[in-house]
Parts: sequence; C-alpha cells; structure tokens
Amino acid sequence: MKPQAVWRTSVIFVFLLFMIVPVIATFMFSISTRWDRTLWPEGLTLEWWKAVTSRGAFFLTLKNSFLASFATMLCLLALVTPTTYWMKLRVPKSKPIIEMVTTFSFGVPGVVLALALIRFYSKIPLPIINHPAILVAACMVLSLPFMYRPLVNALEAIDFRVLTEAAQSLGANGWSILTRVIIPNIMPGIINGCLLVFSTVFSEYTLTNLLVGTRFKTFPIYLVEYTRQDGRQASALAVISFVVAWITSLLIILVTSKGGQKTTHLAGR
Amino acid sequence: MQRSKRLYNSWVPWLGLLPFFIFGLAFELMPLLTTIRSSLTSKGQLTFEFYRQAMDPLFLRSFSNTLKLSTNTALLGVVFGTIVAYAIITTRNKFLQNVLIALSDVSTNFGGAPLAFAFIVILGSTGVITLLLKEIGIHLYPNFRIYSISGLTIAYLYFQLPLMILLIIPSLLGLKREWHEAAINLGASTFQYWVRVALPILFPSLLSGFLLLFANSFGAYATAWTLTGSDVDLITIRIAALIRGEVQLAPELADALSIISLLVMLACVIGYTWLSNRTRKGKA
Repeated sequence: MKPQAVWRTSVIFVFLLFMIVPVIATFMFSISTRWDRTLWPEGLTLEWWKAVTSRGAFFLTLKNSFLASFATMLCLLALVTPTTYWMKLRVPKSKPIIEMVTTFSFGVPGVVLALALIRFYSKIPLPIINHPAILVAACMVLSLPFMYRPLVNALEAIDFRVLTEAAQSLGANGWSILTRVIIPNIMPGIINGCLLVFSTVFSEYTLTNLLVGTRFKTFPIYLVEYTRQDGRQASALAVISFVVAWITSLLIILVTSKGGQKTTHLAGR
Repeated sequence: MQRSKRLYNSWVPWLGLLPFFIFGLAFELMPLLTTIRSSLTSKGQLTFEFYRQAMDPLFLRSFSNTLKLSTNTALLGVVFGTIVAYAIITTRNKFLQNVLIALSDVSTNFGGAPLAFAFIVILGSTGVITLLLKEIGIHLYPNFRIYSISGLTIAYLYFQLPLMILLIIPSLLGLKREWHEAAINLGASTFQYWVRVALPILFPSLLSGFLLLFANSFGAYATAWTLTGSDVDLITIRIAALIRGEVQLAPELADALSIISLLVMLACVIGYTWLSNRTRKGKA
C-alpha cells in the first residue's frame, strides 16, 4: 500500500472505532451478567431486558415520548405548511422575518428557552405551566427549523405558482388548493420534516426536565433516572434510544435520497 | 381607488401569516423579553445589580469552564473532523464513502442521555476501555475521570466530529485538483500546498465550523447533566439548578446568567451565518 492509502485507512479505522465502540459496548453491557471486573463479559443474559420491559413505567414513558413527538409534529404541520406556502406565494418579503422565527432555537440554549417560558407563563393567567402543553410548545420552537427547511426546499422544487394558477382556473378555493394540490406535491418534504421533528422531540431531555419534570415522564427522563439506579437496565434503555434514532435517521436518508434535500439537524444536546 | 387597492394588496396578504407570528410572539419573543426585562429591573427600577452579581467568581468559574469545554471540543472537532472528512472524500471505495457519510449524519443527532451513558460504559471507572487499558498497564483512574471536563470533551466529540465532517465536506470538494497540481508544478511541496493554498481557502469554512461547534457545545446540557450530575460546573448546569430551585438565589440572577449565555451563543450563530453565507456566495 502507498503511504497515503495507509494514512487514509488508519484515519477511517480510528474514526469508525470511535463511533461504533460506545454503541456496541452499551449493547454488550445490557446483555452481560457482569462486566466490570473482566475484559470480556462474564456471561450473557436477557435478564436486564426482561426486567426493564416488564415495568409499567417503561411503556408509559415510551407512550409519553411518542405522544409528545406526534403532538409537536401535527401542530407544526398545521402551523408551518400553510405559512410557508403563503409566504412563497404572496408575501416573499416576509421570508427574513419568518426565518428569524424558525431559527430562534439555534441561537438560544435549551435551558434559556425553558427559563424564559417559565418566567413569562408564570406571570400571565394561562394555566399551561407544568402542563404537557408547554412542553409541546417548547418542542415546537426547538424543532421549527427541521419542519420549515424541508418544506421550503420541497416547495422550491415544484412549480407551486403554476400549480396554484391551474387549480384556481379550475375553480378550486384556497383550502383545496393547499390540501389537494400543494400538499400531495410536497409529500417527500413533509415526511422528511416529520421524521426530523420526531427524532428531535423523542430524544429531548433538557426542556422536558425543566418544564414538566416528573409530571410528564418521557423516555429520556426515565433513562436518566435509571443511570443513577441500575446501570444494566439503563444500558438496555440507552440501546432502545440508539435504535430509535438509527431507524429514524435511516428513514430520513431513504426519503431524502429519493428526492428533496437533506437537512442536518442537532438534537438532544 | 387605485391607491387604496395597492394599499390593500400590500398588507392584507400578511394577515395569512398571523398565526405563525402569534406563535413566535407567544413562545419566543415575549418570554425572551420578559426575561431580559426581569434581569434588568429590581422593584420597578432599572438596575445592573444582577449582572454585577453574575460576575461573581463562582459564576465566572462556570463561564470559564463552559468556554474551555466549548473551545476544546470545537477545536478538536474542527481539526479531526477536517482530517477525517478529507480521508472520506479521497476514498475510492464509494460504498465505504456513503456509509461513512451516513454514519456521520446519524451520529450528529446522537447526544444527551444515551450517549452520556454509553461513555460511562466504556470509560467509567470499571468501563470496557478502562479495563482494557489496565490490562496493558495503563491506569486511567484516578488521574482521568469520565465525570469531568476532560471526560465531557471526549463525549462531546462524539457529536462534534460528525457535525464538522458534514460541514466541511462541501468546502473540501470545492478544492480543485488543478490548484494542487499548479502548486506542485511551481515547485511547492504538498505540505506547502496545504499551508499556503488550501488552508487559506478553507479558512472561512473552518472558522464558521468552529463557531457552530462552539455554540453547539456551549448550549448543551443533557449530556453533561447525565454524565456528571452537578459535579462539573457548567453555566447551563447552574442555570438549570436555579430553575429547579435547588439553589436559593434571586430568580433574576438566573435571568442575568441566561441573557449572558444567550449573547455568547447568539454571537457565534450570527458569525456562523454571516461566514457561511459569504462562502456560499463566493462559490456561486
């Protein structure tokens, strides 16, 4: 091998090792009887997986995480789809302001967003403090850019103006243009956005912990509780989180490779 | 008639955006303004008292820890991310290339509790790597602890590295082979080509990558909290403790600390946006 090839192969090898070892080790840890004294696990067992999945809290927190994710996804769809379409069609001038609203969460740390929401909503008489509703609102702020970007990209990829005019000349009203002409045409963007929002909210910890705490336990909250109680069962939960994240990401890659642009996103910090 | 119609056309379409703007107002702008105002007022009077308190050595230490952690992970991320990215794009095996890019794509999204726990499993006091190193005579503990700033640096790299790879690949692909050849023909060594030609061209992208990685780690909370609890004194961990009421202090102090953090992060994100818009335009 040429020295360049050796260099390249070793860089890639080390990188792969760094990325894969933590995941594999967590999985091995979750199926080992004991693995804190010896180089290899002392034995293999499914005991921790059985223990962790037999608890009611396991399904409750999973359900809560799915609930929060889907609620955020639906609310964002309802808010962002008409807005982006209308912006592109009639108010292109509003784009800079809209993008400022959507990218808000990039510039604001999660703890600061949580604090600001608590400060504001404890002052006004709207009983959403400590309620899952405020979590959904905060998750919407957090994942707005991940819904907005794919939608705008998808809209820019189709001839939305011609489609709108054609539908108008056939007598369709605004609502049916949006739901029956535009939305079917930007489906890949919508699916991509939904998946990005899902993976963001599913792994969300900071906002959940600070806004609703133990009143609405999600899967990441449950996982962190376990890391302090029982490492082996926590490792099983961590593996589940990894698998959910991997599946969602693979679906995103699948959707984006079929058309539409990809959006890199940052979640779960 | 004509004039009023034009007026009508100019603002009425904006009404369609009203729900969106109300959302932004209710969950972004108003909460933020309330926090800013609260950090600046005491008993109805304008005051900088809370900012003065925020400059207490106690909090300055949290800020300096956070800055140190962010700078370290961003620097390491930029350097190693660029090296790995270069290795990836020069690989002839297209399949491997796609797998590596997909892996980076997936891993940037990892973070928080599961990631922190994975690092406890491999680098904790009885972790796999710890045991492995002990076997060959390297004792990590007690000099190194995963529940510390250096431990956090390694864990953060798990999402910083792939992020940098994804950010820098387009710029690396923009380096033309002819430039390298031209430099070699003019008598430069490959090293000289990198230092005198490639790196100056890449510089804006590297800087914008650094800023994004810096902000990414500055605002992070979940990973640090899961890994170290309140052992490591970071500003996000302090603010969170103030929110949860674990520490009894004036709530306005938390507001002031938040606003300072916000300004740091905002500066990074604005710098990043400005730089990346510039490089994008330069290429077009």
